[in-house]
Amino acid sequence: MELYEYSAHELSEMLADSKVSSEELTKSVLCRAKATDDKIGAYITICEENAIEKAREVDKKRGKEPLHPLAGIPIGIKDNISTKGILTTCASKMLYNYVPPFDAFVMKKINSADMVITGKLNMDEFAMGSSTENSYFKKTHNPHNLECVPGGSSGGSAAAVSAGSAVVSLGSDTGGSIRMPAAYCGVVGLKPTYGSVSRYGLVAFASSLDQIGPLARNVRDAAMLYSLICGYDSMDATSQQREYPNFAELLNGEVKGLKIGIPEEYYGEGVDNSVKETVLNAVKELEKQGAEIVNISLPSTKYALNAYYIISSAEASSNLARFDGVKYGYRTEEFTDLTDMYEKTRSEGFGDEVKRRIMLGTFVLSSGFFDAYYKKAKLVAFDICKEFNEAFQKCDVIATPATPATAFKLGENIGDPTKMYAADICTVTVNIAGLPAVSMPCGKVNGMPVGLQFIGQKFSEQTLLNTAYAIEQLNGEIKPAEL
Amino acid sequence: MGVDVRHLAKLARLRIEEDKLAKFEKDMESIVAMVEQLPEVSGDASGLDPEHPMKLREDVEGTDKLSRNELLANAPKMQAGCVVVPKTVE
Repeated sequence: MELYEYSAHELSEMLADSKVSSEELTKSVLCRAKATDDKIGAYITICEENAIEKAREVDKKRGKEPLHPLAGIPIGIKDNISTKGILTTCASKMLYNYVPPFDAFVMKKINSADMVITGKLNMDEFAMGSSTENSYFKKTHNPHNLECVPGGSSGGSAAAVSAGSAVVSLGSDTGGSIRMPAAYCGVVGLKPTYGSVSRYGLVAFASSLDQIGPLARNVRDAAMLYSLICGYDSMDATSQQREYPNFAELLNGEVKGLKIGIPEEYYGEGVDNSVKETVLNAVKELEKQGAEIVNISLPSTKYALNAYYIISSAEASSNLARFDGVKYGYRTEEFTDLTDMYEKTRSEGFGDEVKRRIMLGTFVLSSGFFDAYYKKAKLVAFDICKEFNEAFQKCDVIATPATPATAFKLGENIGDPTKMYAADICTVTVNIAGLPAVSMPCGKVNGMPVGLQFIGQKFSEQTLLNTAYAIEQLNGEIKPAEL
Repeated sequence: MGVDVRHLAKLARLRIEEDKLAKFEKDMESIVAMVEQLPEVSGDASGLDPEHPMKLREDVEGTDKLSRNELLANAPKMQAGCVVVPKTVE
């Protein structure tokens, strides 16, 4: 077995026992990345020299000072998370040359734990998309079937972990951008409670919905990484001041007495029958172990996608106003005056999907339309929160499919934006309500992975991870896809 | 509902090429047709989460300091320690 195939928690022990060095491990992962990335296209930037240098540094430290359990373990980072001195493009021409002068809060945590950064991972431009086809640089392919998309927007983060070209990775989730690619690529993806991971240094898409989270090939690795990155940060005004447990240490697959809510709205029309069946079969296994199934209803779900696209685009149109060709990033070559420079820079720097979202946001916020769109969407969002709160009176976790179908083919939805948006139907409600959710592989349909989503109350990550762990104990930990 | 893409683009400081205008119009119209299906609800839309209040930080000098050169390193055009932009005042 090659080193890149091991999980972070296995490697943590192997490194601690000096059975392997971080340098050997890092080289194995980089070698895998270089051997497979022609086919997968997960990386925008591979940081080979820095990674090996960092690994050697950690190897020297080992035995001399106490190290974090994740020290020396290679991690890939989504390219919208600011990494000091490392190109951070958001997969956009607009930031093709941007090198952040500072680290995101999560990167400070990653660096303080002495993790080894393998590189920056591909994504949909500015995290807008559900297939990673909106990247300015390259397409990413699903390691389980190269003709299929990896999902989006954290497609590179999911594909790298699935292919073994990163041990774990960080993604970001605004409407499903961690969970959906995790489901399509057959890995574990956690979207944490809003406010539990600082957004400082995450290039903003929709600030009230964005959240950084871990992707991994097993629940324990995801729990270890989440424990590292969560916590209060004064640089993010929405960061919550609270103590977090060590999620990995408290991990258990105990589901006896756990009440699992099944919302009918997530199993209706538009959701593939074989996906439904696979998800419900996994839930039945938990029932055999003593979990209790409760039928619940979340009626406002039918408006969730509409409310999500209004709110997220409104925030995006405002957040992306900063890209004007003045202070950083792309600037057009020729222009007559300042306005001409702005317009040409933005028109040449942004891709079509980003332009559509900016224009939709501009539209719903413009005079005469605000009440009919944005205000209504916010009111729907409150109803969604209220219904979740009521549901959690009756159950501990909610189980749904993470996506309405398995991964689609490259090019299949790219010409039809609304068809592409429909792929987010199972995940957007969670962001609207600020809740945590995990996508857990629970089987396959025609060779492609199916994700089971567990949604919990705010700050119930431990319950979610434990429930996902129960599924993992039934099916075993995931190994890198064969390529 | 018709969507005036040219006007929206202008508001958003974007420019849509003539040959792409029809496709953008069609896409924006179908997107708007999708998102406008919302129920008639009323209430106060300025919602806060009382159980998880936010806290503003103290208004004190930051500790994370960056030098002028570090900040200007990404500027597309720079001269004498300043960002260069086209003339804005006649």
